[in-house]
Amino acid sequence: MNSHQISSQPPAEKKHVPIPAVSRAQTPETDGQHPIKVKTQDLGLYYGKFQAVGNINMAIQANQVTAMIGPSGCGKSTVLRCFNRMNDLIPGTNIVGQVMLDAEDIYAPGNDVVDIRRRVGMVFQRPNPFPKSIYDNVAYGPKLYGVNRRSTLDEIVERSLHQAALWDEVKDKLRESAVSLSGGQQQRLCIARALAVEPEVILMDEPASALDPLATYRIEELVRELVKDVTIIIVTHNMQQAARVSDYTAFFMVNEHRMGYLVEYDRTTQIFTNPKNKQTEDYISGRFG
Amino acid sequence: MPRETLDRQIHHLQDEVLLLGSMVEQAVIAAVDALVRRDALTSRRIYHDDQLVNEKRYAIENAILILIATQQPMARDLRMMAAILEVITELERMGDYAKGIAKITINLGDKPVPISLREFSTMTDLAVSMMHRALGAFIDENAQLAHEIPAEDDQVDALYNQIHRETVASMISNPESVDEANQLMWVAHNIERFADRVTNICERTVFIATGELMEMDTDDEEETE
Repeated sequence: MNSHQISSQPPAEKKHVPIPAVSRAQTPETDGQHPIKVKTQDLGLYYGKFQAVGNINMAIQANQVTAMIGPSGCGKSTVLRCFNRMNDLIPGTNIVGQVMLDAEDIYAPGNDVVDIRRRVGMVFQRPNPFPKSIYDNVAYGPKLYGVNRRSTLDEIVERSLHQAALWDEVKDKLRESAVSLSGGQQQRLCIARALAVEPEVILMDEPASALDPLATYRIEELVRELVKDVTIIIVTHNMQQAARVSDYTAFFMVNEHRMGYLVEYDRTTQIFTNPKNKQTEDYISGRFG
Repeated sequence: MPRETLDRQIHHLQDEVLLLGSMVEQAVIAAVDALVRRDALTSRRIYHDDQLVNEKRYAIENAILILIATQQPMARDLRMMAAILEVITELERMGDYAKGIAKITINLGDKPVPISLREFSTMTDLAVSMMHRALGAFIDENAQLAHEIPAEDDQVDALYNQIHRETVASMISNPESVDEANQLMWVAHNIERFADRVTNICERTVFIATGELMEMDTDDEEETE
């Protein structure tokens, strides 16, 4: 059994590390067209007594791409994994604060984790197709959720592969093993697999870092296409990628206690041309981190 | 410093901008001096040397494009690149004013001029001083100085108005020298526009420092005359 607990307060024995004022980065104003899809309030995460991230306050807009950038160890992947409770799997993890998906606190007691992960899908750094056929990889999720009709599954597989811009490349070999595909194709297959259960949000943790430049551009184009239907939150080490694909960028840093915090969160155009914070400026112009 | 290569290249570009500025500065000083001395030979050289200013401007532009493509500057660095592109365009146009003045001196030949040429030198000194300090502020990213300099344009405008009145008066009193008076009016116009463009350089300095694209208001003589 995992020993994680979910509470709105930090455990009593844990000392709160003072957080610099800049950690309360302002959430940028919405443009009025995109409602808030995911919202965190004073989100923090502890591994045992160690506070890995703290005081994360972000409102993420629906049908927008939000990039999370920052140096290694700044907690951006940790925060990303909080959005679909992936950190629940790590023993000793304790989450404080709130993560709201629409009006629902995803950490509220009694909430169904499986349902949350259906609504908030994830794509990882390295393509991780199952050792199954292309078809079965995409059909896996829907089957898990009880879809068994062959014709329905066929439709879902075709739609998902179309959405992931992979259909034309694999339509004649759906029964072949997924591992026969190239790295870029495998990653798009993983995106198709995530799309098959019709998620509302897709989390991407460095989805192109293991891919060559052309495959990377294809993933980036795909991200821009998918965001019309879903909300995308992407962690990337590649700042140019963040600049190319995202509408909003959140910059994270790590303090002297190795705790990650949010420094600045604004429109991507603002962050990359005229960030308000000196640390952001130094990081994105490559002079720090 | 993790970006020594980029920093070195930016410093080199800044040096090149100062060099371009120096070429333009010398061209306008020499052009007005040659006018005052009625030196057509020197004016011809200035006229042709404008090509060197143009070439320098294109070389800087090319270097910036390469820098953007290879180093992906961001934030302040990126604003600096965009600002330099704008400033070198201004400097090249300012060089064109010097060329225009040289051409007028060539056209005038040894025909007598109807007004004193002393104010042209004074006007040029003011305009060049503004430009010199504006470029210094640009390289130093000194937004405060950049805010102050454009106000000095009023003195240049006052001299322009004075020369304008004198040339118009001479046209009335001395109709056979209308052509020469008109040419001198264009010289004054060129110096006045030269000073106006200093304001544009100052605007770019503020842009680098603050990210704000703003228009600094100066009285534009072309609209008020």
